[in-house]
Amino acid sequence: MRPFQYVEPASLEEASAILAREDGKARIIAGGSDLLDEVKDGLLFPEILVSLSGLPELKRVQVSESGMEIGAMVTISQIANQPHIVENYQALAQAAAGLATPQIRNVGTLGGNLNQRPRCWYYRSPLTHCLKKGGDRCLALEGNTKYLCVTGGERCFIVHPSDTAVALTALKAGVAVAGPGGRRRIPIDDYFSGPGRDVLRENVLEAGEVLAGVIVPGGPSTGNGEAALARKSCYLKAGEREAGDFALASAAVSLTVSGMGPAEPGVDRIEDAGIALGGVAPIPHRAVEVEEYLKGRLIDGVNPAYAAGLALKSARPLPGNAYKVPLARNLLKRALVQLLSS
Amino acid sequence: MTATGVGASVVRRGLREKLTGEADYTADLRLPGTLYGCILRSPHPHAEVLSVDCSKAEALTGVRAVLTPFDAPPGRVAEDMPVLDTRVRFVGDEVLAIAADDRDTALRALELVKVDYRVLPFILDPEEALKPGCTEIHPGGNLATGQVLSLERGNVDAGFAQADFVLEDECRTPTHSAAPMEPRAALAYWEGDFLTVWKSSRGVHVDRAALAAALEMPESKIRIVGPYLGGGFGNKDESRLGALTALLARRTNRPVRIEYSREDEFVAGRVRHSARIKTRLGLTNDGSITAIDTTALLDTGAYLASGPGVARRTGQAALYLYHCANVRYRATLAYTNRPVAGSYRALGAPQGHFALETLIDRAAETIGMDPLEFRLKNRVRPEGQPGKRVTPVGQIIDSQPVEGGVPFSSNGLEECLRSGSAAFGWETPARPSPDPAKTRGRGMSMMIYRGGPGFDSSAAVRIDREGRISVVTGLMDVGEGATTVLAQMAADVLGAEYAEIDVLSADTESTPLAPITAGSAATFSTGTAVVRAAGQLRQRLLELAAPGLEAPVERLELGGGYVRVRDDPARRIGLSQLTGRMEGEFLEEKATLSPGSPDFIVNSFGAHFVEVEVDTETGRVRVLDYVAAHDSGRIINPKTALGQVEGGISQMLGLALSEELITDGPTGVTLNASYLEHKSPTIQDYPRIRTLFANVVDPVGPFGAKALGEVPCAGVAAAVANAVFDATGLRFRDLPITPDRVLAALADRETNYPTGCQRSL
Repeated sequence: MRPFQYVEPASLEEASAILAREDGKARIIAGGSDLLDEVKDGLLFPEILVSLSGLPELKRVQVSESGMEIGAMVTISQIANQPHIVENYQALAQAAAGLATPQIRNVGTLGGNLNQRPRCWYYRSPLTHCLKKGGDRCLALEGNTKYLCVTGGERCFIVHPSDTAVALTALKAGVAVAGPGGRRRIPIDDYFSGPGRDVLRENVLEAGEVLAGVIVPGGPSTGNGEAALARKSCYLKAGEREAGDFALASAAVSLTVSGMGPAEPGVDRIEDAGIALGGVAPIPHRAVEVEEYLKGRLIDGVNPAYAAGLALKSARPLPGNAYKVPLARNLLKRALVQLLSS
Repeated sequence: MTATGVGASVVRRGLREKLTGEADYTADLRLPGTLYGCILRSPHPHAEVLSVDCSKAEALTGVRAVLTPFDAPPGRVAEDMPVLDTRVRFVGDEVLAIAADDRDTALRALELVKVDYRVLPFILDPEEALKPGCTEIHPGGNLATGQVLSLERGNVDAGFAQADFVLEDECRTPTHSAAPMEPRAALAYWEGDFLTVWKSSRGVHVDRAALAAALEMPESKIRIVGPYLGGGFGNKDESRLGALTALLARRTNRPVRIEYSREDEFVAGRVRHSARIKTRLGLTNDGSITAIDTTALLDTGAYLASGPGVARRTGQAALYLYHCANVRYRATLAYTNRPVAGSYRALGAPQGHFALETLIDRAAETIGMDPLEFRLKNRVRPEGQPGKRVTPVGQIIDSQPVEGGVPFSSNGLEECLRSGSAAFGWETPARPSPDPAKTRGRGMSMMIYRGGPGFDSSAAVRIDREGRISVVTGLMDVGEGATTVLAQMAADVLGAEYAEIDVLSADTESTPLAPITAGSAATFSTGTAVVRAAGQLRQRLLELAAPGLEAPVERLELGGGYVRVRDDPARRIGLSQLTGRMEGEFLEEKATLSPGSPDFIVNSFGAHFVEVEVDTETGRVRVLDYVAAHDSGRIINPKTALGQVEGGISQMLGLALSEELITDGPTGVTLNASYLEHKSPTIQDYPRIRTLFANVVDPVGPFGAKALGEVPCAGVAAAVANAVFDATGLRFRDLPITPDRVLAALADRETNYPTGCQRSL
């Protein structure tokens, strides 16, 4: 590990100014559970680590009528246990609760989880110089593809490793970014970017920009009586062991339903649906076909197996990872059944 | 008998120290001025080191020594492994070593070394490695040891001729790491020409002999000490670690410590041999076995390590678990450019049992017999295998025979099958899962393991002038509790309490010659020596007391710190009073012996029963219930014994369901050298395990004990795979049974994984 400088700026503006000034030599550090591994493994050689731990505004969860804002430095444990999140944004709480191990959840942050780098073995090994590290080709294609993507890969076939990103995609969150030019808000679908845009990166942060937090729209049920809208969500993840595992595949479903309640059973209608799959693509994969099928449909008219089968129609599995397609669909079906029957 | 002697669950030695962090492992040790040593590892799977340029590294402030293959002494760590070599044979092989003032400097120095490699063709597949014209990893070719191991009892061709039908299968088991919590470490220190090394060790005397050979110096000039060990599992230490640490210390005249990183431990520690095993089984329609023919191909990686022992262990189930007159076992060990396979708990037994016990399950299914009934019918009986004894009469049977005609000293296999199945409720089928996507099933296996007698063993038991008793043994406690059990035995013989017994162990300067802690032999072999030495000491004490007590030795007894007259207990003398009168510091009795029996084979047995739930939508297999019944003779310490069984099962559930160390085909790089990616099970993956011990007191073993340490590993993967079959109708021939494999098998059940069994005549 090369020596580096460690600074704790007192404001986001200062953090952003350091990043802009140092031009690639500085890195943001949050919990450090991923970043320090990369430094130790010789994948990164930052000269300055810019810590966000001195910024209390990034450690808050703020609830308003229109939704909730979660600071980038809120820990995964806090998200998993925060009553408001557990009650109203189940998919997010479940994604956080099933992530890694208790130790990592205690230090890991939401910002860090969204910005962590891919787990692809060929990227992580200090001995392989893959495309994502500036090499000339994807080495996994000639080697082991078991954990790679089944859709959206172009030259590079990583999957995005974040559980919370998948949940937030289903919840149609936005990302708050602070930069030298001030603050901007990006829909989460536009925040992550696949290898087609830039094979070296997984998001659209520009030089000097810092992920400040996440805005999740909606929240507690709105409206009254027969016009009531209720949102329910869930997140299911499949792995090879019960803890300390990244998703082989995952599914997040968020449904906003009208008429939910005792009034008139059978006329509950899905007003909005957010469907995202993890472990299948270089970014959280929004299953638009499934969302469209669900939108406007009476709950009683939903066929979960059929709906799930609409996902990943365009998947092109690599030799060795075709199992991910049925796995992701099965999880999606299971999540739909779980939500629709509750 | 005392309350804390044989049969008592006393708290094992060192437990409190480990739990409170007081225990010093090798990596915790520091001497004043200790340098940090580190190893440069090969990035190539196979290459010749043409030259090294260390000038920049040596110029770095704080770098004290660089040891290269060009200036290393010519000794060898093992027959096929020089101290350092100009040929590197796997990604991770040792190229050179550096000592520096601190870790950062040492690692920086590694980056500054320039090595000029001539890259050679490499081979990762053991079948390919044995083909003519393949690149040679060692002189003489890739058939390690130069020959195929071939063992036969009776005549398999005749056996197959008697069969009504024949079943055959080929299975594969992966490379996996024991993933010990402690990466191996060593600290070396010279005083003049005398070398002291503290290291992660499985046997200090064997380490001393190996180091003496590597450094080409007399054993009398070397002291090895084994501090607390953070997970042994057989292979600490078959590596170059000790030699490199000692040589850097010699060169710098300073203490040097080398500690493997977590990645080093996975890649350059020692892993389990991956295996491809073909088994043919000759069967009659009424469910008898007429022949078993097994062929194993084992990948030993870049060096042989304990490959020959692994090859023999792989065959033990096929040769000895079932009553059968005609058996043959052939094993081939191939060198490849993969991480070195060595000793890993139970050596080849898990591989061999997986191959045999899954095919036996198929046999029972084919015949339409319950798997338990089939095993009860065909199990090897107490009288042993049919055939004639070959081992000369009167000679100790010191290795597992292939021949028949030799009875077991004890054989509780039937009791294991009956008590285990009863506790498990084998007769009742699995309760269906409430979730229709999940299907449950039950499976079983049985196992045999040769353990106990192994290696010449010695021990001393002494009493000092204050009456304090010590067991003195060279044995290394590898974390399993061996020295606890030895102290309990001594306590029992001497009528003392466990807490009154000290143990001196694992130091070549102060303890008698001991074998490595391996082959599940410690309790039996060193235990036999302890019991004999303690008995001798007891006799000496009685003789010392006899004149004063004015009674013959036959009327005296020892216990509670006194020698007393049996029928007149008021006439007694305290031990310290007795020993206070003697000359010298202590009274000591020593026993050296070859443990075992000339009349019997000493084997341990077990039967496992498992219920699994397979999620047909996610491919995950979860273990819901587990019953393990074992015959390891008399259990000296029930609590540590339970730890051995639960530990062995837990480790092998990794082999069954999730673990595999993967080498990249195009580059030879190990891809998943981490706890995260090697996928060892977590505490949340483990089932409830119920353990039963058969009521067996072995006539040969000390206090009736037999071997236990490795036995529980043998049949785990087989039992799980059989349960998965029961649940899904799918027979998995390859381990581990991971979600991707389950989903793929479910997806094309018809084409690739036929559920029916083909009879071939």
